[in-house]
Amino acid sequence: MRRLLDTALTYKEYLLLTVCVLLSIFLLAAQDSPQIRRIRSITVVSIGFLQDAFGFVPNYFDLREENRVLREQNVTLSEELSRLREAAMENARLRKMLELKEVGRYEYVSANVVGKNFQLLRNAITIDVGDEEGVAANMPVITHAGLVGKIMVTSSRYAVAQTLFHTEMRTSAKVQRGRADGILVWEGGASLKLKNVAKTLDVQVGDEVVTSEYSSIFPPGIPIGVVSKTHEITGDLFQTIEVTPRADLYRLEEVFVVTQVPDTSRVAVEQRASQ
Amino acid sequence: MHTTAISTFVTLLLFLVHSYLVPYLTLVDVVPDILLIWIVYLAIRRGQLVSTGAGFVIGLVLDLSSGESGMLGLAALTKSVGGFMAGYFFNENRMLQVLSGYQFIVAVFVTSLLHNVLYFLIFLQGSGMGWWDTFLRYAVPTSLYTALLALLPMFIFSRKYVS
Repeated sequence: MRRLLDTALTYKEYLLLTVCVLLSIFLLAAQDSPQIRRIRSITVVSIGFLQDAFGFVPNYFDLREENRVLREQNVTLSEELSRLREAAMENARLRKMLELKEVGRYEYVSANVVGKNFQLLRNAITIDVGDEEGVAANMPVITHAGLVGKIMVTSSRYAVAQTLFHTEMRTSAKVQRGRADGILVWEGGASLKLKNVAKTLDVQVGDEVVTSEYSSIFPPGIPIGVVSKTHEITGDLFQTIEVTPRADLYRLEEVFVVTQVPDTSRVAVEQRASQ
Repeated sequence: MHTTAISTFVTLLLFLVHSYLVPYLTLVDVVPDILLIWIVYLAIRRGQLVSTGAGFVIGLVLDLSSGESGMLGLAALTKSVGGFMAGYFFNENRMLQVLSGYQFIVAVFVTSLLHNVLYFLIFLQGSGMGWWDTFLRYAVPTSLYTALLALLPMFIFSRKYVS
């Protein structure tokens, strides 16, 4: 026994490494067990609280720039509001004429970004709203500029959202002008890639890309970005389309959560079909 | 006990820096890993055992705070292996020379590179992304950037101890 203990002490570094590696592998394998979810929830609350408490530090440095941007936005929005009022009145008249039903609008919960978790190819943000504000997993996260991502995990007061710059993020998107549908993914770099768009479809640089009706998570029509590059590879059926996101995903400070709960029956049937 | 309390406090402080200031240091989409610099520092200052344990705990907190369901344990694994590797740079008699010299930068670069190789080997499993492309596009620039950032503590040490 004594000898065993001596040997263990001699190789204590290797023993610790083995324990750490085994624990990590266990966690990787355990994935989404209720215990892990509970620990994760506690960590999100603790880290969120700390980040919230120290959130004034970068805000102080950014205040001047933020004020300038807000003033600019204020002018633009006032102008846009006036145009929208006109458009809404015109829309109401036309709807009445066509006897269309009023389309339900979504509700938003505003949130501050209290933490950013930028790891290699896994970018996420922590926001200061959670279960108490009605935020739930898979709800879309947006800014005034466009789509940011979706909620992954929530706790009572905080939530973690996966941004578009995350390799596991898949978004059904549409090129607004040409109506070409595709799947938006991120494979690194400063732009996203719209995949599965046939070469025959008309897509041009500068075209607006929005969420499509095929998404079971995102409401249709949310702006995502602008087509920045298109190119074709000989022998490939699809064209490669690069999209620059409208929202500055590395400089997020305030976001909105669209409190739209995904249609669970649709998600379930789509998951079954893809298996 | 006193040293452990200070190390824990610095670790917490670096988590906040990681959350708030590192996004401002992002070059295109290359993010420096300041927590790895801290793990390498711990390895040189306090040895392999501490750096391996610290790597695991720091990685685990990063994993848990990322809120992801699929990759919990990945940062814990890579950072504990990184901490273990960095422990080979520990030399009780030359601790301050290592921290204030080019060896510290080499240690950070080598540890970061190994960390990133392991990270991408696991992370890219089953994804459509090419390992070699991702390695060249992310692992190498991230390691270089992290090593570049390690110049700051190195200069602080060289001013404090060598002069």
